[in-house]
Amino acid sequence: MADTTTSPQLERSFGRAARKVRGSLLLRRVLTGAAFGLAAGALAAGGLWWWRLGELRPLSAALGLLGAGAGALVAARKRWTDEHVALYLDEKLGNDEAIVTAIGLRSATSEAAEHLKDSAAQLLQKAKLPAPKIADKAQLLAPVGAAAIVWLSLAPLPPAPPDTRPPGVEKVKPGNVKGLERIEALREQKGRSPEDERRLKALADEAKKLRGELAQGMEKREALSRLAKLRDTIAELRSEFGKEQNRQGLEAALGALNEHPELKKAARALGDGDITAFDREMQRLANQAEKEARDSAKHALEEAERAAREKGAQSLADALKEQRDGFDQRSADADALRELAKALEGKLDPEALEDLKEFGQNGDPQAGRRLAEAMGKALGKLSEEERKRLAEQLQKQIEQSPGGAEASPMTREEMRELARRLASPEGQKELEEQLKKLANPEASREAQREGALNDAERGLGEAERGLGMMPLPMSGGPDGAGKPGAGDPGGKPGGGQDQTPGKDGNGSAHHDSGSGNHDGESQKVEAPELRSKANVQRSGVGPMHAATLGRAPARPGDTANQRGTGSLGSVAPGEIGAIEQSEVPEEYREHVGRYFEP
Amino acid sequence: MSESFQQRLAAAHRATGELMRAVGSVIVGQQQVVEQVLWGLVAGGHVLLEGNPGLGKTLLVRTLASCLELRFSRIQFTPDLMPSDITGTNVLVMGEAQTHGGRFELHRGPIFGQVVLADEINRATPKTQSALLEAMQEHSVTIAGTRHTLEEPFFVLATENPIEMEGTYPLPEAQLDRFLLKVLVESPGDEDFAQILRRTTGAPQGAPPSVLGQEDVLGLRALCREIEVAEPVLRYAARLVAASDPGSPAAPELVRRSVRFGAGVRGGQSLVLAGKAIALLEGRAQVSFDDLKRAAAPVLRHRILRSFEGEADGITTDRVVAELLKTVETLPAQVAQAAQAS
Repeated sequence: MADTTTSPQLERSFGRAARKVRGSLLLRRVLTGAAFGLAAGALAAGGLWWWRLGELRPLSAALGLLGAGAGALVAARKRWTDEHVALYLDEKLGNDEAIVTAIGLRSATSEAAEHLKDSAAQLLQKAKLPAPKIADKAQLLAPVGAAAIVWLSLAPLPPAPPDTRPPGVEKVKPGNVKGLERIEALREQKGRSPEDERRLKALADEAKKLRGELAQGMEKREALSRLAKLRDTIAELRSEFGKEQNRQGLEAALGALNEHPELKKAARALGDGDITAFDREMQRLANQAEKEARDSAKHALEEAERAAREKGAQSLADALKEQRDGFDQRSADADALRELAKALEGKLDPEALEDLKEFGQNGDPQAGRRLAEAMGKALGKLSEEERKRLAEQLQKQIEQSPGGAEASPMTREEMRELARRLASPEGQKELEEQLKKLANPEASREAQREGALNDAERGLGEAERGLGMMPLPMSGGPDGAGKPGAGDPGGKPGGGQDQTPGKDGNGSAHHDSGSGNHDGESQKVEAPELRSKANVQRSGVGPMHAATLGRAPARPGDTANQRGTGSLGSVAPGEIGAIEQSEVPEEYREHVGRYFEP
Repeated sequence: MSESFQQRLAAAHRATGELMRAVGSVIVGQQQVVEQVLWGLVAGGHVLLEGNPGLGKTLLVRTLASCLELRFSRIQFTPDLMPSDITGTNVLVMGEAQTHGGRFELHRGPIFGQVVLADEINRATPKTQSALLEAMQEHSVTIAGTRHTLEEPFFVLATENPIEMEGTYPLPEAQLDRFLLKVLVESPGDEDFAQILRRTTGAPQGAPPSVLGQEDVLGLRALCREIEVAEPVLRYAARLVAASDPGSPAAPELVRRSVRFGAGVRGGQSLVLAGKAIALLEGRAQVSFDDLKRAAAPVLRHRILRSFEGEADGITTDRVVAELLKTVETLPAQVAQAAQAS
């Protein structure tokens, strides 16, 4: 119900004036709020620019809208009452508080009240209604803030600050680290002794433990450190033939082997510590058909073993003894293969016959492998009569074979049983299998151990690559890569740093002749040639440590971490671009560069 | 109805204007003093005039009384003045034959006038002063146990001399509070002084014309009470008076240091009444902030009791009032800011 005591004229006039006053106040607060919002937006844009969040910078202008909204909210909360409006109007119009008095007397009915209400209404109708100033000094922030936001949104982002975190603190993703299982496989490897087997098993256990911890999360640097320890352990487990205590024995053994021209390659492999190559060479010699050559090789092994044992290199002597012991069995196996081939000679194609000839002449294992495959095919074409004759030849072979049946891929009883069953297709299949074994004889225990360590190291390298590292080159790389070649006649050197091509395509290392003074602590080495005393095993697989892998453009005067001016000055040529050209991993490179800063 | 109020307001404005002019025809200068005396007359209060001798205080009162067609009486306060000298006394009047004994007949004192001039009020003893002050407060006197109501309008104008303090009895604060206003009569300026000399040394002038009668004055007083005061104006008056109390959190530093007691509730009432009187004299139906500001000094100066420190520092009550007017804001802060900015 409307209040009949109020003056409609006053209410109308006052309402109009109040709307104008309050509207101005609202607009002023909205504009001021927007100005503060834009100023805050400029700060935010500056922050985003500094943090290089470029795409978010234009969004900071939204703070202006937010500020305008906040201004409207403040205006609503601080909305002027009628009394405030009336006081403002009186103050501005100089009415001696006529309006505020009339507004306060809205419900009064006295003569004075009525008179005052009428007077106030007339005043409001006649007067030019004032309104609070909309502009404010703070609103100057609006254009400044908007301009700053635009400028900061268009300005190029600052360069990224250097990563101050120490390298390697990031967590390793378990999926990136592979190859440790190849180290774990050392658990099954037979060692030279129980102590050696315990060490191999401990290495495998450590690899397994590391794999488990990696799965639970580990810092990269910790993982790399653990991998380095594994690498050190593998290096320790490697052949100790070239170590200081075995040095004299090794040189003596090499001297004994070098006296036989056909054993020079074997001697070189042994000197390089490449036991697998040495074993392969021994296999080749054992495969030779000429008994004289085999006896010569066996005799050389005996001499080398004796020389090594005399000089105190027991482990080397044991390895040579193992080679010597297995030499006869290998020769017998090769003979058996040849006998079988001769039995099947009429069924073999010309290529197989060529392989047979090559196998007999130089014992090339590749030729033996191809020969065995051809014999397997020929067996399928044998008639019953031919098989019987083959069986008889086998019997003869059994009779001629010396007593090392334990090490043979096929025992006498088995061959005898095979000869009996040769008429059947099953027996024929078994014979084919045995042929394959004859063509792929087992390596020596020492070579197997070395091969297993090589494989473990390859696994280690794979794990390090998974962590973004470049594995340090060590001996024991992939077979055939960088090792002296297996003997393609007239071929190129196998790789690595061996630069002298051999007659048969194998690389040959250059050895110092050792003309220095040996008086003092060093004992005289009784050897036809003097090898380096460096206790490091060179690998032909990859580049040596600190070798240049790539080349970065540089100018004269460049140092490890400074650009050159064009002249060398006192800078050594080796310092030029050393950090960039060094083998330091990419992620450590900047760190190392900072370390060398003057 | 509104028309009637407006007419009365206009009539009052005219009448007070005429009264001002009538008094001004006798009193040279002192316009502010005359104005303030009229505030007291219209508001129904009493006025204490303080000024040096010879500044026309008595003449002003006499002139005003003659302009008002009211009974005028004057009491010259002296130390030996007795209360009965003011109020009057019962006098034994014998019969004609003087045989039937006599009867007491009231001889009314000067207090029974309508415009009473209490000249040099601080020269009488406190007992005598209190007899006057009782009449001022109650508008009645009690003589021999009989209460006698004084005829309205009853308007006391007291004067005191601030320089001859020997043998005087300063009015106690409680009694000073009875006066609506304390008006300071200043020395005239050079031109006014010359005009005074011209008028007082020439041929005597005739009495000023009567402007207002008894009913007119009563009508003015009634109309004064109808003047409206807005709520913010009332709150301002309250804040102003409250700030004069040194214990108030709103009190300015000068008040805290120099004032022992501030103006009380009666001071606030007097301030608003004085404001209404000012509005009426200016023909307005509402009191403004400026009215209160104008009334503040005469209303509050005799109600503020200075502390020892204030007296020692020579801080006058007028300075305290000026400080109050400076520190107490009339408008709310946001309104003042908006008004100042636009």
